[in-house]
Amino acid sequence: MGLLSIIRKIKRKEKEMRILMVGLDNSGKTTIVLKINGEDTSVISPTLGFNIKTIAYNKYTLNIWDVGGQRTIRSYWRNYFEQTDGLVWVVDSSDLRRLDDCKFELHNLLKEERLSGASLLIFANKQDIQGALSPDEITKVLNLEALDKTRHWENYWL
Amino acid sequence: MEGEEDLSNPNKTLDPTYSHPKHTAMLERLSNRKQPFLSRNPDSHPFESTNSFLSRFSQSKHSIDSDLTRCRQSTDPDSKSTLKSDLEAVSISISDLEKLVAENSYFLPSYEVRTCLQTISSLKQSLENVTSEVFPKKKFAFKSKKASSGVLDKTEIENHDVDLEKPSFIVPDLPGFRNMENEVLVKEFKGSEMGEFSISDLNSCEVRLTGCLRAIFIHRLKNCKVYTGPVFGSVLIEEVEGCVFVLASHQIRVHHARASDFYLRVRSRPIIEDCSGVRFAPYCLSYDGIERDLKESNLDEETGNWANVDDFKWLKAVQSPNWEILPESESVGGVTILNSDK
Ligand SMILES: Nc1nc2c(ncn2[C@@H]2O[C@H](COP(=O)(O)OP(=O)(O)OP(=O)(O)O)[C@@H](O)[C@H]2O)c(=O)[nH]1
Ligand SMILES: [Mg+2]
Repeated sequence: MGLLSIIRKIKRKEKEMRILMVGLDNSGKTTIVLKINGEDTSVISPTLGFNIKTIAYNKYTLNIWDVGGQRTIRSYWRNYFEQTDGLVWVVDSSDLRRLDDCKFELHNLLKEERLSGASLLIFANKQDIQGALSPDEITKVLNLEALDKTRHWENYWL
Repeated sequence: MEGEEDLSNPNKTLDPTYSHPKHTAMLERLSNRKQPFLSRNPDSHPFESTNSFLSRFSQSKHSIDSDLTRCRQSTDPDSKSTLKSDLEAVSISISDLEKLVAENSYFLPSYEVRTCLQTISSLKQSLENVTSEVFPKKKFAFKSKKASSGVLDKTEIENHDVDLEKPSFIVPDLPGFRNMENEVLVKEFKGSEMGEFSISDLNSCEVRLTGCLRAIFIHRLKNCKVYTGPVFGSVLIEEVEGCVFVLASHQIRVHHARASDFYLRVRSRPIIEDCSGVRFAPYCLSYDGIERDLKESNLDEETGNWANVDDFKWLKAVQSPNWEILPESESVGGVTILNSDK
């Protein structure tokens, strides 16, 4: 193994975490990342490529990769799998019609071997919208119970 | 490795949309807000010009390409161990190149970002190919870091595919208009109501929504006219044909639209994907109280973004053939919803 990559791995283990935010377009990924970072969210365009945010949290440095979710660029998601520690799957809980699409893409992603070591967080976003499904309902619709119990997943909302 | 260090700079805003060339007017307006970022830490963004970025990008790509060729052509069986670390070094170079794109994507034109992403994608593919050529049997080590616990076995997940088929939950509908033909459909959103709304499966209908909304979903409309007051969140439009939309919203995404006109006011850049024959014009709706509603939704200002359409299916620098600006001579001019119509 190259020396560089050994140093890199040690460094990463100690204090760097790589978090990958994915989900269908319009689910709110960029909004969430900017909010967490305390930034203005009044003008956000649909993401064409990706954004990286570096956030310090306790002793950790979180590198958050926010990747665009439009169908055309979903094939690029696989570019970001390498060395991902945490996977955040963002769901628009009010986009009822595309929940099937959402379920399909999520389960597709979880087949990915390179992501098998990563923790999974399901983010049931847009809970403020009246007709939105609750996190429990999202769990059912996305068939999360079918996931292996050893994989850590959680439902969370803003 | 340097690329990694750059990441320690917090509060980076890398949205590529902020400094698209067409975008300069908006940039200027936003300059107060964005200024600290643009002027902060100039060292970490040494390019800020598309040309110098692209030449650096193609240099790196070239050197990665030739490294890969060298690895592929190496036939000496004794060199396997160095080959392994060489390929790892290539993998790191590709990651660094990727970070370079991410960090600079806020000022790059969108088609450059897309092209760079495709290049990176194909570099990764070549790396995979070379790796499996040089080490045919064994999986290459750095592909996944196997933790001893919490690892989801691939075959295990595949078994769950069966469950994917059967729906475990009946999804209810959002409030909205659906399954109608030749109707005029009217709804007024008052005061704090700020609803979300879904409009689907309509044929030859006219839809008038007045007041402020939070989000709109539109699906499968044919030969319809849709007029709406301001939307504080986003509008998602899919599978429409022969329609006219007059919409104001913070975000607008249009997928699979054909031969339709969009009169828009948007805070961000409207995007289209898998569309053809769609045309864009400025928002032109009026009804009693619309000024107040627009102000309340932070959409009172004309950003000019109605013309800054990004086509996710069009990579090139030249104008996408899928959309155009609606010639003024063909514009409806203005749409007024009278109180008696509400
Ligand atoms: N009502 C409501 N709207 C939200 C919430 N989070 C995000 N939004 C809106 O959802 C829309 C989409 O948000 P984005 O952050 O651009 O979504 P994204 O997932 O980054 O989309 P892509 O970049 O296209 O993949 C925006 O109009 C946001 O204002 C939420 O919690 N509630
Ligand atoms: Mg985004």
